[in-house]
Amino acid sequence: MEQQFLSGSELHILFTNGYRSLKKNMNSINDLNVFPVPDGDTGTNMVKTFGGGIHSVGDNVENVGEYMKALSHAVLLSARGNSGVIFSQFFYGLARGFATKSEICFEDFTYAFECATADAYKSIITPTEGTILTLIREAADFLKANGYKYNDFKSGFEALVEQMKLSLAKTPELLPVLKEAGVVDSGGAGLVCFIEGIYACLCGESIEDTPDIVDLISNTPVQNMNFGPDSVLEYGYCTEFILQLMNYKTDIPAFNLGSFTKPLEALGDSIVAVHNDGIVKIHIHTFTPDKVLGYARDFGEFISVKIENMSIQHSETVAEAKREKVKYAIIAVASGQGIIDYFYSIGANVVIDGGQTQNPSVDAFLDAFKKFDAEHIVVLPNNSNIVLTANQAAEIYTDADVRVIPTKSVVEGYSALSMMNLWCDTVEELIDDMSSGLADITTAYITTAIRDTHMDGLEVKKGDIIGLDRKTLLVKGNDKVATADSLIAKIMETSNKEVIIVFYGSQITEAEANSLKDILSNKYPLADIGFIEGKQEVYDFIISLE
Amino acid sequence: MKDFIILADSTCDLDKVMREKYGIDYVAMNYVIDDTEYVASLDWESHSVKDFYDLMRNGKRVFTTQVPKNVYYDKFKSAIEDGKDIVYISCSSALSGSINVAKLVAEELKSEYPEAGIYCIDSLISSLGQGYLLIVASKKRAEGISAADTAKHIEDIKLCVNQCGTVASLEYLRRAGRVKASKAFFGNLFGVKPIIISDRKGQNYAYKKAKGTANARVAIAEHLVEAANGVYEDLYISHADCPEEAELLKEEILKLAEFKNIHIGVIGPIVGASVGPGTVIGFCFGTEVTIEGNE
Repeated sequence: MEQQFLSGSELHILFTNGYRSLKKNMNSINDLNVFPVPDGDTGTNMVKTFGGGIHSVGDNVENVGEYMKALSHAVLLSARGNSGVIFSQFFYGLARGFATKSEICFEDFTYAFECATADAYKSIITPTEGTILTLIREAADFLKANGYKYNDFKSGFEALVEQMKLSLAKTPELLPVLKEAGVVDSGGAGLVCFIEGIYACLCGESIEDTPDIVDLISNTPVQNMNFGPDSVLEYGYCTEFILQLMNYKTDIPAFNLGSFTKPLEALGDSIVAVHNDGIVKIHIHTFTPDKVLGYARDFGEFISVKIENMSIQHSETVAEAKREKVKYAIIAVASGQGIIDYFYSIGANVVIDGGQTQNPSVDAFLDAFKKFDAEHIVVLPNNSNIVLTANQAAEIYTDADVRVIPTKSVVEGYSALSMMNLWCDTVEELIDDMSSGLADITTAYITTAIRDTHMDGLEVKKGDIIGLDRKTLLVKGNDKVATADSLIAKIMETSNKEVIIVFYGSQITEAEANSLKDILSNKYPLADIGFIEGKQEVYDFIISLE
Repeated sequence: MKDFIILADSTCDLDKVMREKYGIDYVAMNYVIDDTEYVASLDWESHSVKDFYDLMRNGKRVFTTQVPKNVYYDKFKSAIEDGKDIVYISCSSALSGSINVAKLVAEELKSEYPEAGIYCIDSLISSLGQGYLLIVASKKRAEGISAADTAKHIEDIKLCVNQCGTVASLEYLRRAGRVKASKAFFGNLFGVKPIIISDRKGQNYAYKKAKGTANARVAIAEHLVEAANGVYEDLYISHADCPEEAELLKEEILKLAEFKNIHIGVIGPIVGASVGPGTVIGFCFGTEVTIEGNE
């Protein structure tokens, strides 16, 4: 006899397996990117969205309604990215559908999916078919017609998985950009992985757990530096690094994380260690980060290292306790240390580190909101997915009036900041000033193609330098500066732009930046041209034309 | 009725034709380039307009000095000896300390010549805004009004002269310490033009921003026309070696209101040194300025 009823804790086990399945397929979901650009993040966003939720609910809540309420709230707070937000709304809808249930049978999913469909569609201003939304809606339709036929969860989920796979396969027919790029919808694929994980669990198969993605290296810009020449190092350094084990240094297949971390215990505490496929992530609080790094380097080479003086972190926390009272607080989202610093210098109160490859969660926004005792908070996202997350955070937050200006790129965020006038009397005036000219801005990018593709009439090979605006692949080449030049020329052909602002990335040398600057100054003598060292990843140049 | 002289200084930006037409004399400040001091002539006797602003465009720093004490002394004294009173309308005290020197000299001379009428007025503005007040004073004199009453009239109306303009780069104003604007407001920004007025204290105050040159022009035109408040008599536009911009601004303003008399002039070396080439400023009479920059 297959299982006919589920309690909250049993549902938790199913969801945990769904989550593991999603995690396992995260990278292949990330690769389902319309543009051949290495910024696919749907898999990561969905994992982080659900991971933040499942880890913060207990596994011993028996009442389904109570369990789902706690889970959906936690998932909502960690929601990030477009698909992540829809995914969180999906659970919110399920929770609504199960609200009064202490236990559920398969048929209860019929009503829950109906609620989930309504809530998922509601979260998007202009819903697009051929996405995760379509999968949810078609699953709901399927259950409405057939849900009653299944007496147990196993047979029900078997049919549901089949149905959702069919829906997924059809997404390229509904959304031409998918068809052109030769991929299926990434958010939909994530949902299918999740449901498959549940089905596998019902079949008695437990999916192996893979390490959670922890934002191990996140650069928090240091503000209120109050560590001076006579300060005492009270708390040591929070030291985090990612280490690639090297064959010539250690026997990787025989590598034992326990014996690796043992000597570290003598050097510090709060050790968190993860090992996966030859990559080791370590978090440790130590007074001697030099010794920790020296020891680790005997085994491999660093992919990234972050060391923060915890005395400064500590005093930041103390400072946070006394929230500054302000009329307006401006919260921007940006990635790239150069851009972040620049945004602070031109008046942003908080810059959340995030962008295309790392969407901040609803919670990250709420944390930023809480930093100020503000009357009005103005949020400047840097892509359309983040606009969605910010809106969701704005809706939840009640301590201040939160306005989201739907800036869809970092250069739009810059434009809004540059027009900010903090002594205007009303928030409407402020928003009006900051929004002025946004519609006239073209954002263009230079990056490297990560796969061969045919798109917008261009044949692109992996490794080509490509130039795009937000929607279209415009140029390709093999030199970053030359391709940026022709990208700008292409845009200038059709519209007369007065201002060119270039944020150059971490892979661009000073000489390359100067060379592009010279080319542009000669070509467009009347334009106001600005260059900012953005130090951003992925995009070598982010260009604002207005 | 005792006659009086009307005295300006190098920041009034009235050219020879205007000064002769209205009978206005001026005392000169000085400017220094590469350790050489030049008289800040309103008739461009030391450098031509183009040469002067090109030097600035090429990165030359121009420093300015107040009107020397002896220049005031000689000018005041010769007027008194001619049996005339003096109405001196100075550059805004927020931009130059000259008015303080003038007042000191006036005090000294009054103890020597108790009957002398010396009226030193802080215009709280500069360029053709100051020039406008000088012309008003000249018209009063022509109507037979006394120096004392003319001075009182100018004091009464001086805050009703409205200024609104923009600069090509805030760098000059900032270097000269002659603009009120926070770092966050105009930190290292691209593509944004400051809209600068003269506030109640006579300070140049970047009170708002505009996206790009065309929008800045519209914002300036709207500000001035609103300030003129339905009375469209005299419009003055001064520019730092950018006559095309001044013409464009004039056209933009005329789209909104038909001013009767329009005068376009060049910004002289003293104001020019602190605002930089590419600056264009409009002035008109209207409602009293209420804004006071505080940052």
